[in-house]
Amino acid sequence: MFQKIIEERIYSLLILLIMVCATASMVFPETFPTFENFSQILLNLSIDTIVAVGMMMLLISGSFDLSVGSVVAFAGCLAGLLMITFQMPVPLAICIALMGSIVVGFINGYLVAYKGINPMIQTLAMMGIVRGAALMLSGSGVQNLPYWFNAIGQSKLLGIQMPIWYMLFTVIVFTFLLNKTILFRQFYYIGGNEKAADLSGIRVKRMKMIGFVLTATLAGVAGILLSSRLGAALPTMGRGLELRVITAVILGGASLSGGYGKIPGALLGALFMGIIANIMVISRVSGYWQEIILGIILIGTLWLDKALQKKYSSLT
Amino acid sequence: MAHLKLDQISKKFPGVKALDGVCLTVFSGEIHALCGENGAGKSTLMNILAGNLQPDEGTLILNDKTEIIHNPHAAFDLGISIVYQHLSLVDSLSVAENIFANQQPVNTFGVIQFNELYTKTESLLQQLQLTEINPRTLVSRLSPAQKQMVEIAKALAKKPSILILDEPTASLTEKETQALFTILKKLKDEGISVIYISHRLEEIFLLADRISILKDGTYQGTFLKHDLKKDDLIKRMVGREINALKIESHLQEEVLLSVKNLSGNRFENISFQLHRGEILGFAGLVGAGRTEIARAIFGADNFETGEVMLENQMLNVTHPSESISKGMAYVPEERKALGLFPEMTIQDNIIVGKLTNALRGGFYNSERAKELAIDLKEKLRIVAPGVQQKVNNLSGGNQQKVVLAKWLLTNPEVLIVDEPTHGIDVGAKFEIYEILKSLAAQGKGIVMISSDLPELLGICDRIIVIKKGTIAGELSHAEATEEKIMALASN
Repeated sequence: MFQKIIEERIYSLLILLIMVCATASMVFPETFPTFENFSQILLNLSIDTIVAVGMMMLLISGSFDLSVGSVVAFAGCLAGLLMITFQMPVPLAICIALMGSIVVGFINGYLVAYKGINPMIQTLAMMGIVRGAALMLSGSGVQNLPYWFNAIGQSKLLGIQMPIWYMLFTVIVFTFLLNKTILFRQFYYIGGNEKAADLSGIRVKRMKMIGFVLTATLAGVAGILLSSRLGAALPTMGRGLELRVITAVILGGASLSGGYGKIPGALLGALFMGIIANIMVISRVSGYWQEIILGIILIGTLWLDKALQKKYSSLT
Repeated sequence: MAHLKLDQISKKFPGVKALDGVCLTVFSGEIHALCGENGAGKSTLMNILAGNLQPDEGTLILNDKTEIIHNPHAAFDLGISIVYQHLSLVDSLSVAENIFANQQPVNTFGVIQFNELYTKTESLLQQLQLTEINPRTLVSRLSPAQKQMVEIAKALAKKPSILILDEPTASLTEKETQALFTILKKLKDEGISVIYISHRLEEIFLLADRISILKDGTYQGTFLKHDLKKDDLIKRMVGREINALKIESHLQEEVLLSVKNLSGNRFENISFQLHRGEILGFAGLVGAGRTEIARAIFGADNFETGEVMLENQMLNVTHPSESISKGMAYVPEERKALGLFPEMTIQDNIIVGKLTNALRGGFYNSERAKELAIDLKEKLRIVAPGVQQKVNNLSGGNQQKVVLAKWLLTNPEVLIVDEPTHGIDVGAKFEIYEILKSLAAQGKGIVMISSDLPELLGICDRIIVIKKGTIAGELSHAEATEEKIMALASN
């Protein structure tokens, strides 16, 4: 039991999360433990979490994608442009915007997997290219998006905003895929030892490509959701999102060297960051301090993790 | 005169007592062999001498002074130099920079003097009779054997008074091994103490003055070479007598695998046939092209011309996943780098065979996976507390059994094993032979690439000798001897 908590970040993070929430509820009984507050926290992190699910999958397979933040802006702006300037119907515009994201993922995946370009360099370059494309498409942004488009992100189901439902749906589907299907479990082997995976018959290159394509697709979905929530497609959307998402995923138990991590960890990592930020807002900590504290928490968590694991392995 | 004395050294790791009151005395100017199975504690003892580990108990006396070696740097200052089993060279730097790592000659401003570096390296390489290696060459361009020799040169560059070698000959050819022995004997005459660790008992009897034996972390005594017989040594290492290899051929008529005029990168015009129930040996020097041939047949690398037929069907494969589904399996040479997922569990490592084969595209059933893994763990006698154990924590022999277990799951017709017993202790070696023989008895065909000649002579029905990428000759079990194989392989 104790071993499981130490070894699996999702359990230790869950316990930490409960402790933080319990403390905050006692200190701020009026403002923190309310339905409104929690649905606001979840709504704020829903976009990040959808991207984080893809990022978790990529990190499990041993690579990562820095271009996701730009893809969020690109997908939103492309959809906005098609709907306003070209008067396209909403579903068609969304489909084309998602196709655009898939193309970005395909290029990333092809160059990383088949041409051996380092994922950091490849996606860093793509981050600039795609951000530029988003600016070119939308100029200063596209306003007055159609009613039905805005309804996607602004309506509610059972009193809960739709983006939260989309987020939960994504997490559940990908948790199932990575736990229970042969195809997606291969990501763990690729992250564990790429060469051994290839010699064991796993199509490593193809799987890596699938990973990049799916991540870009999720980023595209997030971009459409975000512009629908805002009622506008802005080329600055998703700025800094890639680093927030990687932070959440690392907090959630992934390792930059690959092989580790579980999809619910992406949600828990994002939730942890969201709750800490929320508590700081409630207790009126200045915005500068929030970033500093989040950085310290990330380092502290990983450090504690290493220390506990070492201690535990010397006990047995 | 006792140069180095270890007294009652103990070291505990989680779950095991790696060393339990080990004593060892090494004289100046002797070659002292250290024997023991994998897991006997040899590496732990060496890591204590190297300053990588601290003993829990016991003292270390060097030149009549009690010393504590806090870190590798302290070991270096005391004149202890180690040649590790796993190479510690940086591929992207030159030979000279590797040999003089962290002690490059500098001028008064601390700027590296490259000319001096290269001349010093050249004279060192000359002493080691390694004139064919250029000090400016990048290490990545060297053969495995050359890398090993550079590693030894690196250890000697520190001008040690104690030189420790851990399995130095594993990747060396006969000729290089002889050259190494000449060097070691010369060092001995200069008064340097050499501690020599090896699984190859023939070498130990050829080289050592005295032999110390460890078993399960305990000290079994030190003997003069002449007072110890080989069987006696094995018995003290293993604690039981091991039956000599007994061949029992399961060779059948039917041709299983047929390779015709195969040519590719580093091999040319390879033709051979493998029959059902046959164990076919591939002998040759390291770097002769045996691994390349195996990888091409398995579909891990492309070949240029030629054909491979499996059970009279053309085997046109571009990726291992295709050859696996057609009934091939390949156990690669470098177990940790190519065969295993070290941070994953035994179960995950075994079940990967199924992930790409029958169950492809389907759902992963963790209960079923566990059953299969436990079944194979018991069948192959993999020693571990459970199938949820990380394979990184297993001994070399058990790790190799995990790799074999993966392939037993795919039920292949042809199994290619590449150096299957490299760095594995005697006991586990014989268990691996048993597994291979039982597969042959079931009518599978096995290609065994090995540099361990006694093992090839012992279990193969036929041996093909590869030299510089071509077939130099073929010997039946009856006619093969070590001398004949070496004659075909080397000149």
